[in-house]
Amino acid sequence: MKRILPPLVPFIVITLALEWMVRGGFVPGYLVPAPSAIFRALYDSRDELAAAMAKTSAAAVIGFALSALTGIAIAVLLSSSRAIQKAFYPYAVFFQTVPIIAIAPLLVIWFGYGMKTVIASAFIVSIFPVIANTLTGLLSTDPALRDLFRLYGASARVTLVKLRFPAALPQILTGLRVASGLAVIGAIVGEFIGGQGLGSVVDIARTQQRVDKVFAAVLLASVLGLALFGLINLISALTLRRWHASEQGA
Amino acid sequence: MITVSKTTASEAGRGVALRLERVRRVFENSLVVIEGMDLRIDAGEFLAILGPSGCGKSTLLRMIARLSAPDAGSIVAEPEQFQTAFVFQDAHLLPWRTTLDNTALPLELMGLDREARYSKARATLAQVGLSEAEARYPAQLSGGMRMRVSLARALVTEPRLLLMDEPFAALDEITRFNLEVQLRDLWQRRGMTVIFVTHSISEAAFLANRAVVMTRRGGKIRLDRRIDLPAGRTNDLRSDPHLGNEMKLLMAAMEEE
Amino acid sequence: MNRRTFLGAGAALLAACGKPARIRLALNWKPDPQFGGFYAAPYRKHGLDVEILPGGAGTPTVQMIGAGSAEFGIVSADELVVARSRGNDVVALFAVFQNCPQGIMAHASRHLASIADVLKEGTLAIQRGLPYARILERKYGFDHVQVVPSPGGDISAFLRDEKFAQQCFVMSEPLQARHAGVDVKVFPVADIGYNPYTTVLATGGAQLRSNPVRSAAMVAAVREGWSGYLKDPVPTNAKMHDLNPSMDAASFAEVAEAQKPYIETGELGAMTDDRWMTLIGQLAELGDIPQVMPAQDCFRNI
Repeated sequence: MKRILPPLVPFIVITLALEWMVRGGFVPGYLVPAPSAIFRALYDSRDELAAAMAKTSAAAVIGFALSALTGIAIAVLLSSSRAIQKAFYPYAVFFQTVPIIAIAPLLVIWFGYGMKTVIASAFIVSIFPVIANTLTGLLSTDPALRDLFRLYGASARVTLVKLRFPAALPQILTGLRVASGLAVIGAIVGEFIGGQGLGSVVDIARTQQRVDKVFAAVLLASVLGLALFGLINLISALTLRRWHASEQGA
Repeated sequence: MITVSKTTASEAGRGVALRLERVRRVFENSLVVIEGMDLRIDAGEFLAILGPSGCGKSTLLRMIARLSAPDAGSIVAEPEQFQTAFVFQDAHLLPWRTTLDNTALPLELMGLDREARYSKARATLAQVGLSEAEARYPAQLSGGMRMRVSLARALVTEPRLLLMDEPFAALDEITRFNLEVQLRDLWQRRGMTVIFVTHSISEAAFLANRAVVMTRRGGKIRLDRRIDLPAGRTNDLRSDPHLGNEMKLLMAAMEEE
Repeated sequence: MNRRTFLGAGAALLAACGKPARIRLALNWKPDPQFGGFYAAPYRKHGLDVEILPGGAGTPTVQMIGAGSAEFGIVSADELVVARSRGNDVVALFAVFQNCPQGIMAHASRHLASIADVLKEGTLAIQRGLPYARILERKYGFDHVQVVPSPGGDISAFLRDEKFAQQCFVMSEPLQARHAGVDVKVFPVADIGYNPYTTVLATGGAQLRSNPVRSAAMVAAVREGWSGYLKDPVPTNAKMHDLNPSMDAASFAEVAEAQKPYIETGELGAMTDDRWMTLIGQLAELGDIPQVMPAQDCFRNI
């Protein structure tokens, strides 16, 4: 309760204020829907929204899982040698800077209309923070501990598994936190082009000037993002609980 | 795969003899850290290396540990193969491991199976008086306790050469005094060669049976002296005027320049 | 003196008074021949200082009028009716396309006879939220065709796949396809009985009531602009081509010519009650609007 109450209060206040502003005619309902209209749209279209949310969730989760695994693997590879890092890191930055809206049509050419394009979009948008944060974590290993491992003849692989990777875990989890929200955004954008899920609901509702439904779908997308974020926080709490400052004092 | 066998008291009592000849180390920015050092260390010696900050003592220690190589000169050891241990200024424990797992780490890296390394680790923890803390994590230990775990980790492989780089500098004085007594005691029982870098004159005088003072720059030896104090050292020695004498001599050498 | 002459005199008076009124006209696509008359219009002569805001995919012109970010906008008749049903008081003043130029284009090599055939197999790229998309779905069903989002003017997917059909502006994408070497068959949406006015100049109802002279001046200027553009599109095409280089000069000329039959059917820009009533009825039946509304609320012939 103590955790839920503080963020809940502003939410309730804003919702009531918005409702009052729309009903009182201060804000036109066709530009910004009253919260009651959003909730009604959620209820009226619940089947459609539930199905759409299931599709978007699947794509976002799969895209995120892929970007987590691939991103960590790429970072491990980049951290293994300065030469490799210098040669390939700029290409990793490409994932950060490419505007997904511009390349989404290209994704359709390669993956067709449907789930694969959406997953690809979620993957592309969310992978860079994983690479960047994991790499930073792997490169920041305490030099004294690296010396210690060298002293006892540990191979590069053993040092990676027993020292560098566990030491990088807090940083890796930070990267995953950022990536989780981006995966949802990437999925929605992919759906604008690829045509399914919540993104499609938003696109069609927008054409029909159904702002209430647009907001309802956006709300659900936010919930999805929150759920993924919460999942990473849970993993972080469980793994870092006993030894990292960030999870202590909680 | 190395098996650490049960050593007899006399076997464990052996150290390593080192001979440094014309050792020279230059850093990338062409700063000559160590000019050309000659130094002989006998097996089982407790050597303190004193000097102001930046004099090259840590660099010297790392070369002896084979973590870096000299740019000229040689470091020859007798016997040629031996186990080295290193204790840093901070305990540098792995925060995600328990005290027991941290202590057992060197044996784990050397390939020992779990039972064998845990039994050795427990024995060493008992020697530093930390048996009841074996399941705790570093975040739950005090600074002094963490340093003792670091020490236990260093001793668990029964090293012939123990290198220590200002290990007690960050601790409070009482803890320091007690750890110094404990270290001296462990050395007497095991007989390994200890090279102890410090910039504390009292610590050098108290712990070592030989002290070397390095110059401020260029890594040369200004003073090389046998410490004239009894073999068994307790905290009572701290108020002994003989200790004060040794300290005065070392201080004079440090202040020259 | 009839109303139009009165307002026309008012507009002339406005022009004579000196300082022109600053006005924004929001387009719902990039500058191309469908807006020719708007770019050719002599606004200053009618006492107006008009800034034309080019648009693109999804530019929300009805909402912009409602929110006040533009005084005038280009909308389609069906989205105007829907906007009104949501409480957004927008009113149509001048309809460029008397007949709706929307359609579905398919590869000619498929030898399809009607829109129904397009929906029998392959892929159809269409904005599902549009009323005519849903009319098609109701009438023929989408069970046998894969429906995907419209690529918004981009025909590369169409060119690559013979079984790919997409929504289009009858004189735009088909011409592009022919230039790229693919022969197409176009099925106008009007064929299924859905024919809303398109590329319609609209303004906010409140503005219209509080400042009728300005709207009259605007319509007069626009009418003159379209009259001029239809006679000679060349200079205006050049101006628009500078703003929108993605279409080449030859295409500009071709499209300007091809669109004439949709525009020059009688009195430029004029609208009738009947057409609006039919549209309102269709939208009510689709469920896009909760109930029928009076046709005369939707438009004004100035």
